[in-house]
Amino acid sequence: MKKAKKSVDQLITEKHTEALHRGFQAWSELRYGMMSALGDHRWTADLILSTWIQAETGNVPGNGLEYRIGDSGGGFDLLDFKFLPDDRWVSEDIPVRTSIPLNRRRFDRKIEIPIPLYGGGMSYGSISEHIMLARARAAAAWSTYTSTGEGGYPDSLAPYKDHVITQVATGMFGVREETIQRAPIVEFKYAQGAKPGLGGHLLGDKTTVAVAKMRESVPWVSLFSPFPFHSVYSVEDHKKHIDWVRTINPGALVCVKVSTPTDIDMVAVGSYYAGAHILQIDGGYGGTGAAPEIAKKNIAMPIEFAIPKVHRYLVQEGIRDEIVVMASGGIRTAHDMAKAIALGADGCVLGTAELVALGCTRCSNCERGRGCPFGLTTTDPELTQLVDPEWGAKRIGNLYRSIQLQLSRILRQLGLRDIRELRGRTDLLSYNRQNENRA
Amino acid sequence: MAGKKRPADPSIPESNLKALNPDGPHVYHRYHIETDPAPDVAPYPSRFQVRVGKVGLARHLLREIVHYRFNRRLVTSRPCMYGVFSGPIGGFAPRPKMCVGCLRCMTENPDFVRVYHNPQRQLLGDSYFTPQLVDAVMYEAQTGKIPVKGAGYRGKFGGIGWDGMWTDMSEIVRPTRDGIHGREFISTVVHVGERPSYLTFNDQGMPAGPIPRGFSLPLPILFDLPPVSLLQDSLVRILVESARELETLVILPLSQMQRLGVQGQHIVPLVTPEDHGSLAIPGEGPLMVELDSWNEALFKGVLRQFPAAIPCLRLNFGSGFEEQLLGCVDAGIRVFHLVANYHGRSTDGDFVLDTIRRAHQILVDARRRDHVTLIGGGGIIAAEHVPKAIICGLDLVSLETPLLIALQLAMAHGCADRSTSQFIVPDLALGWGTQRLKNLLASWRDQLLEVMGAMGLREVRRLRGELGRAMFQKDLEREAFEGIAGYEKG
Repeated sequence: MKKAKKSVDQLITEKHTEALHRGFQAWSELRYGMMSALGDHRWTADLILSTWIQAETGNVPGNGLEYRIGDSGGGFDLLDFKFLPDDRWVSEDIPVRTSIPLNRRRFDRKIEIPIPLYGGGMSYGSISEHIMLARARAAAAWSTYTSTGEGGYPDSLAPYKDHVITQVATGMFGVREETIQRAPIVEFKYAQGAKPGLGGHLLGDKTTVAVAKMRESVPWVSLFSPFPFHSVYSVEDHKKHIDWVRTINPGALVCVKVSTPTDIDMVAVGSYYAGAHILQIDGGYGGTGAAPEIAKKNIAMPIEFAIPKVHRYLVQEGIRDEIVVMASGGIRTAHDMAKAIALGADGCVLGTAELVALGCTRCSNCERGRGCPFGLTTTDPELTQLVDPEWGAKRIGNLYRSIQLQLSRILRQLGLRDIRELRGRTDLLSYNRQNENRA
Repeated sequence: MAGKKRPADPSIPESNLKALNPDGPHVYHRYHIETDPAPDVAPYPSRFQVRVGKVGLARHLLREIVHYRFNRRLVTSRPCMYGVFSGPIGGFAPRPKMCVGCLRCMTENPDFVRVYHNPQRQLLGDSYFTPQLVDAVMYEAQTGKIPVKGAGYRGKFGGIGWDGMWTDMSEIVRPTRDGIHGREFISTVVHVGERPSYLTFNDQGMPAGPIPRGFSLPLPILFDLPPVSLLQDSLVRILVESARELETLVILPLSQMQRLGVQGQHIVPLVTPEDHGSLAIPGEGPLMVELDSWNEALFKGVLRQFPAAIPCLRLNFGSGFEEQLLGCVDAGIRVFHLVANYHGRSTDGDFVLDTIRRAHQILVDARRRDHVTLIGGGGIIAAEHVPKAIICGLDLVSLETPLLIALQLAMAHGCADRSTSQFIVPDLALGWGTQRLKNLLASWRDQLLEVMGAMGLREVRRLRGELGRAMFQKDLEREAFEGIAGYEKG
């Protein structure tokens, strides 16, 4: 069969895609030294480049890049593990378990994921459909999940429906009966860490015709999701929400995504009594979409402080083993994940780390104009082509593999055989004030 | 309809009406700051520097010309979508002003393109007013908008001072359901002046005794004195005009007011004991007069000269200020302006966040807090510092250095205090400068609304001293990490 001739547009895409792939590899291998102007306190150049290596190889870098902590001078970056001496590590011959259940209640569907993570909500509009597809394929390959975010459920995700969480957020964008019915997990987003109390932002430049159609809104008009849910004033109203979803889809697990206010412990208990299976607590230091700068740093507490507060209160209330706590918003590495679990989470939700695996340099230009110049957080038809979903799925899958390897290594070095044994084990952590001075 | 005046709405309280036309009827006026782009007038260094190896680029071009067989579109398709390489000779003369630091060019062409942080940009501001904060103020003054960016938070985890404090949010409570900047009304009005616990009335139902003196400002922000080194008429006139248009106050030395001949109720004269014999100012009497230190004779002189004005006492945060504060409340002062230096430090070196809390608490303990107004200044240089300072106990804040940065005054050295700070001043046009300050305050007010909206609060007066809605790094760390090996209470 005669091969179809490529158009100039296709050749242009191919030229840049190949150059980018070569660049990701070359820079992460430090062939040209350290990448100037890359990185910040939270995601240092070392962390970004080492994530690129993990996405490329499925393993941690062996070239000296610091892949465990950043340079923020606080939180996870000040915590270390109290590893045992080598002779007390769990032998490589003995398998260690990294899976966690997503339903700890006695009733309803049992779901277990082989790694203690799933992909967080990133909406259609904030990211491209190609990125959504890449995430869904990676989730399917790893028997875990990815969340639609609040921008609707593109039809192209339907083949992966068993691994896609339908998010219902305050704007109700694209929420339809069938997208609830097909979901194994339905996630109510009450708030998000990067802009707590403010609702989602999608600026007009990115609200293309396709995005507007999906969201049933007006093209090129900025969308500021309301805050909070117009139908929820209390825990009782929240229960009404859950009942509504379970009427439409009785088999679905329910996740409640909240931010981290002073009373996050009470919010957690309220969510449990309303019937949630999963509580996702979202700290302020993550986030992938547009957010006011003032909200990122100043509103609601960092996730490192919220996790133990929630965990201890649920233990005190005697309900800790009936609800799954997933931590998000500032989880960058496998080491962050292990520390979050040691502080009391069951598992973690990743967002930014997946985008970094796909080439994000964290330049913070996602929200304006054509969006991400790397084709990640964009709705521009030309830029979208820079990421092939298959390539993307492989990169994210490799990152997952590397995370699993690291978690297994951490468990062995702590003398544990199951990630579930790590939960709440703050006695296995140490606080390293020396790292404060790195920032 | 042109020329037709809207009739007064009798359902609207008189207090919410404003005469926009001196001889016309009162019309509804909702406080709003008009923003308008006000681009920089002085050179501002670009964020990044872009260096392209000419030989490397030439080789790359030749290679592509051959590879793509002279296809012009393919060969000239460049990675940058921001125009850095779109000048007449492309990458041979890159335009770093347009660079946003995405690094796509460097990723695609690692052998001949480099992007660096511009070291000139890192020299902006000083050790307290960091380049990042200068950038934020510049953006706000240019556009009047809230800085919004993607990709999450990039800074340090916490820190000392304001950085070690977080405000609360509510998952389900919201002032109203209609969005912050639309129909939702969150009040930023504050009261300045006397607030007795109760009023007494005579047999005719009229207030007996003196009527409490006070006034309201639509913003919990006023302008403090310019630095001693800045006597430029143009700067002072911008401060005066901006304060007037923003319906807030500006504090100026009495002597400077007299020299420049500026007048208006919104100008607060700062008086010293040396001014005692010459307190007169032309025009309308001021709403408030600030005493630069406690002096009973001066206080009485001010009361005599400006019977309608609220006397305010300027006090430096420092050793013994708490006792002085209580003593002056007893002496009859009801408005205090508590100041730290430009880096937010008291004369003892304490940070303003802690000293504000102490001032608030001592008045609460003495059961006098609701009788007085606390204005605070020094070290409040970012939008988030305003709600944080109010939560710590202020009624309203005063600004100094952010106003100067917004007007593109460059800090000559470390600018820690009013008496020694030196600035390089650009040409300041009145209209441009006024718009820059209006833009800055519009942005800061909108950010205050964002914070209050997230907390579910409808008015800034309820934010004052709401320490239960704040979180401090020390406390959170102790709660989360106590018991972890190596953690010592900070």
